[in-house]
Amino acid sequence: MPYHLFKCSECIPERKKHAVIKGHGETLADALPLGYLNTIPGTISERGCAYCGAKHVIGTPMKDVIHMSHGPVGCTYDTWQTKRYISDNDNFQLKYTYATDMKEKHIVFGAEKLLKQNIIEAFRAFPNIKRMTIYQTCASALIGDDINAVAQEVMEEMPGVDIFVCNSPGFGGPSQSGGHHKINIAWIKQKVGTVEPKITSDYVINYVGEYNIQGDQEVMLDYFKRMGIQVLSSFTGNGSYDDLRAMHRAHLNVLECARSAEYICNELRVKYGTPRLDIDGFGFEPLAASLRKVGLFFGIEDRAQAIIAEETARWKPELDWYKERLKGKKVCLWPGGSKLWHWAHAIHEEMGVEVVSVYTKFGHQGDMEKGISRCEEGALAIDDPNELEGLEAMEMLKPDIIFTGKRPGEVAKKIRVPYLNAHAYHNGPWKGFEGWVRFARDIYNAIYSPLHQLSYLDISKDEIPTDKGFLTQRMLSDANLSEEIVSSSNLREYTGKYDIISDLRGKTYPDFPAPKQLSAV
Amino acid sequence: MACELKEKERAGVINPIFTCQPCGAQYASIGIRDCIGVVHGGQGCVMFVRLLFSQHFKESFELASSSVHEDGAVFGALNRVEEAVDVLLMRYPHVKVIPIITTCCTEVIGDDVDGVVRKLNEGLLKEKYADREVYLIPIHTPSFKGSMVSGYDVAVKDFVSYFAKKDQPNGKLNLITGWANPGDVTALKHLLAEMGVDATVLFEIESFDSPLMPEGNHVSHGSTTIEDLTGTANALGTIALNRYEGGQAAGYLESEFGVPAIIGPTPIGIRNTDTFLRNVQKLTGRPIPESLVRERGIAIDALTDFTHMFLADKKVAIYGSADLVVGLAEFCLDLEMKPVLLLLGDDNKAYPDDPRIKALQENVAFDMEVVMNADLWELENRIKNQGLKLDLILGHSKGRFTSIDYNIPMVRAGFPTYDRAGHYRYPVVGYAGAIWLGETIANTLFADMEYKKNKEWVLNVW
Repeated sequence: MPYHLFKCSECIPERKKHAVIKGHGETLADALPLGYLNTIPGTISERGCAYCGAKHVIGTPMKDVIHMSHGPVGCTYDTWQTKRYISDNDNFQLKYTYATDMKEKHIVFGAEKLLKQNIIEAFRAFPNIKRMTIYQTCASALIGDDINAVAQEVMEEMPGVDIFVCNSPGFGGPSQSGGHHKINIAWIKQKVGTVEPKITSDYVINYVGEYNIQGDQEVMLDYFKRMGIQVLSSFTGNGSYDDLRAMHRAHLNVLECARSAEYICNELRVKYGTPRLDIDGFGFEPLAASLRKVGLFFGIEDRAQAIIAEETARWKPELDWYKERLKGKKVCLWPGGSKLWHWAHAIHEEMGVEVVSVYTKFGHQGDMEKGISRCEEGALAIDDPNELEGLEAMEMLKPDIIFTGKRPGEVAKKIRVPYLNAHAYHNGPWKGFEGWVRFARDIYNAIYSPLHQLSYLDISKDEIPTDKGFLTQRMLSDANLSEEIVSSSNLREYTGKYDIISDLRGKTYPDFPAPKQLSAV
Repeated sequence: MACELKEKERAGVINPIFTCQPCGAQYASIGIRDCIGVVHGGQGCVMFVRLLFSQHFKESFELASSSVHEDGAVFGALNRVEEAVDVLLMRYPHVKVIPIITTCCTEVIGDDVDGVVRKLNEGLLKEKYADREVYLIPIHTPSFKGSMVSGYDVAVKDFVSYFAKKDQPNGKLNLITGWANPGDVTALKHLLAEMGVDATVLFEIESFDSPLMPEGNHVSHGSTTIEDLTGTANALGTIALNRYEGGQAAGYLESEFGVPAIIGPTPIGIRNTDTFLRNVQKLTGRPIPESLVRERGIAIDALTDFTHMFLADKKVAIYGSADLVVGLAEFCLDLEMKPVLLLLGDDNKAYPDDPRIKALQENVAFDMEVVMNADLWELENRIKNQGLKLDLILGHSKGRFTSIDYNIPMVRAGFPTYDRAGHYRYPVVGYAGAIWLGETIANTLFADMEYKKNKEWVLNVW
């Protein structure tokens, strides 16, 4: 039987169909866990709400926008300063957050007046910002405030400002995923097509489902610019509100996180006929294939190829240095949604680690399908995991490292499993060729931490080694490596800087010769 | 030139100082042993609060959600509470105390949490868990009232009033610490130990700072027991250090069981710590020992080394919970600094009657603003647009960008502090807290002088 029922969940047998072990010779039809179903109350699930899926994941990375939540103060506060989506406008969206501060009297009498006052105050406080997104919360949804009407009223009274309304209360769906969907659909319905962009290239894309965690978007933007491609908009990391209103003019939607943003790509295809191309910025091979695909679409594969050759030559020796030292290390790949399939095969093939488990907090069955198919046999896949199941899985699998969120990472720490932050990264960016080496370096530094080794020693029982005053990562990682690898001149440790994003912001790009006009006017 | 008490004039909040009430109830509940709270609402109300706790403590804490989805929001979600309690009890055999913590969502739809607790007590607990000691405690913390501070106050009172039971006098002192850090509890227990006072500490949270052990799993959790809570009715007296974070519970024990209560002052700084010891003495009859005279002397000696040379006249803005902010402001005044702006992060109507705030209004001779219902924009806007010049900011991590963007040195104090390592381990209360705060302020100013090359050479001969 492929299903796996955790001991701690025997009393809630409906959990059985949420976990599978990928058995020998089994197909996905045998081994697909249920997904995106209502959470069992009281399980201490790790899921968030649909409000955070809309606001925190997708809404807030938009950089030149006042992000206002219509509700009590907590929703706003809780989703503020807990992520690392940076931007090239001095992180405006990270620094400021706005709550209408709904109180008891507003619950009774309505809070539309309060909302309007808030909007005006916020625009007054930041006179240079003319764009706003208003997020509904549980409270404002339940009392039935008409946020759209208030936004419309303000837009009529304050020409020059534009307001987007996202109605995605916290209770809307089993997890944050409900909110991803709602904000995707709301954006295309309300905003796409309301701005006409300046087209400066024959190759124009929207870069979708990318949230610029620690600068991922800017790394990828660099590749696109080097290919002479105009990135019309980024949905939504480091993205500009007005650029995103012009999404309809792109020739291609290049999609990273299909879990959170495939909806808008699908809608753009239906409404404007723009094709969708799923890509993958993680891993040398997937990234190279992605750049080739984009190049192929536009007939500029040579440009993609030049970048791939240059970047691979520069960074592959460093990736391989880590691969030699990470081979066979067991990984629990426990992210939120899409990274389980973005990473599962890429870390196995390019860093040599074994993915012994994947989980998803808010993914759907499609994500599991992709993730499990990219895992090796024996991997344990868990949908909507909870605290006890996570602990039981780690006890059973004895991973060397876990990639997960901040708080579950603390759970792992206590059973001596080092963690890397799969959502916000440790020393990112992790996208791009250099970024992938940074990821490998972070894994290496976590696994071969001399301090971590010390955590296994019980000084009351074990023999205390007294012959060493220190250990280094190298002393640990190279102990069993062949001399050939240890002294290889083809391999080297990471040589990049701490901050690799600031330099990209000032970079200039070559002009590509104007393409031939098909017809003269 | 005076201290002016005012309210924020804007209706909305730009960069809030606090989150909402359920967070406070959750913070109280993790202080109790064998207790896992069920937050009745959307999942974010728990998930983010757990994240917040883990950011502050670098530890994970157990809290459950009733996971209200659309159907529950429309048709009522009490069945989710019933299921949550059952699932939690089945899977966590040690759990005895389950507070059911409400949120805006479930208060708006009008779920009768008290009713479902009665139903569970009569039904599920009798039928399925007859042999088990289980306490279900409804805690009403709608997010549209008060703040995380009042939520904490409500929860402490609800826990105490649920368990407190009159019995033989136990000779102990109740110490309600307010929203404290493990370092604070250690410092307070040290003072009480020196006085030879046996105390019930609400809550025993030193164990939040849990170890990484060679074997087994150590889940961070408080260690206040049911017996501790029950016995609060039989104490010599109660000291609630913070007026707005546990004051209600102290009042309850006094009115219900005649346990004398002393509420405040928050023992931040030498003077307030002196008062605290005097209050302990008053309630227990224990003398203040020589060891504390000496400890106090060490603190004053340490502070004297830098106060009038480096701290005098430095302008400070302080934000956070009222008890902390006022306590810090009082300490700053003793250190000859000028706390020119105090931001109290919620709309508690009791602030104007707070004797400590009144004393500031009566005695401060320089320009000082105390803003109620404040947000962090009240701070930034004054710096950015109104010419406020500051030498120091005291507050929690959510205000970090104001410090960074305007080049104003900042000492982290309050909850949450996630952008500095291990701050929860250090006290702000007691003589130890006075030393730590004073020296941290001084060292922060020194580092800033060096970073900005602002008379950095002064320190050559200090």
